[in-house]
Amino acid sequence: MSLFEELEGLGVNVSEGMNRLGGNESLYTRLLGTFTKTIGNYEISADFAPEECEALVEKAHAIKGTAGNLSITPIYSAYTAITDLLRAGKPEEARAALVEILPVQKQIIECIEKSMQ
Amino acid sequence: MDKDKTILIVDDIEINREILAEIFKNDYEILEAVDGVQALEVMESHDNIAAVLLDLLMPKMNGLEVLQKMNDNGRIQTTPVFLITAANSEEMLLEGYHLGAVDIISKPFMAHFLSHRINNVIELYAHRNELESIVAKQVKRLNRVNRSMVETLATVIEFRDGESGEHVKRISGLTRILMNKVSEMFPEYHLPEEEIDKICMSSILHDVGKIMIPDSILNKPGRLTKEEFEIMKSHTVEGCKILQEVPDIMEQGIYNYSYDICRHHHERWDGRGYPDGLKGEEISIWSQAVAIADVYDALTAERVYKKAFDHETAVRMINNGECGMFNPKVMKAFEASMDIIIKRDWIKD
Repeated sequence: MSLFEELEGLGVNVSEGMNRLGGNESLYTRLLGTFTKTIGNYEISADFAPEECEALVEKAHAIKGTAGNLSITPIYSAYTAITDLLRAGKPEEARAALVEILPVQKQIIECIEKSMQ
Repeated sequence: MDKDKTILIVDDIEINREILAEIFKNDYEILEAVDGVQALEVMESHDNIAAVLLDLLMPKMNGLEVLQKMNDNGRIQTTPVFLITAANSEEMLLEGYHLGAVDIISKPFMAHFLSHRINNVIELYAHRNELESIVAKQVKRLNRVNRSMVETLATVIEFRDGESGEHVKRISGLTRILMNKVSEMFPEYHLPEEEIDKICMSSILHDVGKIMIPDSILNKPGRLTKEEFEIMKSHTVEGCKILQEVPDIMEQGIYNYSYDICRHHHERWDGRGYPDGLKGEEISIWSQAVAIADVYDALTAERVYKKAFDHETAVRMINNGECGMFNPKVMKAFEASMDIIIKRDWIKD
């Protein structure tokens, strides 16, 4: 199974993401690599303390922006919700959403990283 | 599209910068900054930036703060700024527009739409900047032509007065010295340099009304009779009538100064001047400066009715009040300018 097929299987809207970049497949592939590097820098955990909420909003907002540009829909949707929940002062609901998305996120990252190797 | 144009991409997220750079790299040189502080540094060192793509939320300095700085240094007038946003608050976006952002780019991006929108605005700005530069050159040229016309008019009148046209240039030079000094010494009279420029240009028309005075009076070698002096005094009011007939040969600011100077350069601080008998601060500071310049030059130049006095005699006569009473502060500026005045290298003003 190709990278794009695998990603489609994980809910990534590859055709839309590529369309966003004018159909440039090699660029899209390269940016997926940048995406894994970027998301790896953020060290997001569901085990965050209340005083970490502010920093978490910034991280979630950044992940949302990058995932959206590549139409990595599950991550984009989850982090949009997490950002909104944290800004609305609902950390526990944000935590639940994080618990749900982190395994999916891990799968998507691993899938991309495997293909890059 | 030529690549002599540059786009500055400001975003703390590498992947966003990479996507935007990819979209525009074929048409533009790309500059990148990771926060607002770096963005301002890049703008400072590059004067050919055709557009700025500016993220709102960034560390160190956010997008709105960058916009505020661009307002402060005036760059916002010539460089279009696009705000990049992923559903930030409406208040922030509204503030962005108020601070001069031309458009909002929502994340996720759509490459084709984005490049069209940004290219259109860049072309529009380039066109507008070019037109403004053409207009500025034409205004400069027009001002030069106007100045020549005004100088010609003033010189023609001076020739009638038996002068060579140098009097008006000397008045302009002396007025500049006095206005600069007054402006420097007395904060209440401070004027920006461009206003002093206008005053100096206006000063050369101070005697334009003399064109209405008959030769028999204007060039009379002896003392004027009371009646003749009354006619001579009318050159102030007659000058204003002439200016009213030709307001379009000069811009409004110069017209206003010219009119005021023309009418009031014979007024005196104690109210004993003419035509309106104004006194003290009723007389504008520029008319008071031209009044001293005119008297000093009249004393130190040869006229049909008198020989030229030397500098020291002229200064003594002015200080003694033999030519009427002047604003004490302008007199102080006059005294403080003696070193410059005595050199007489200002006559080429």
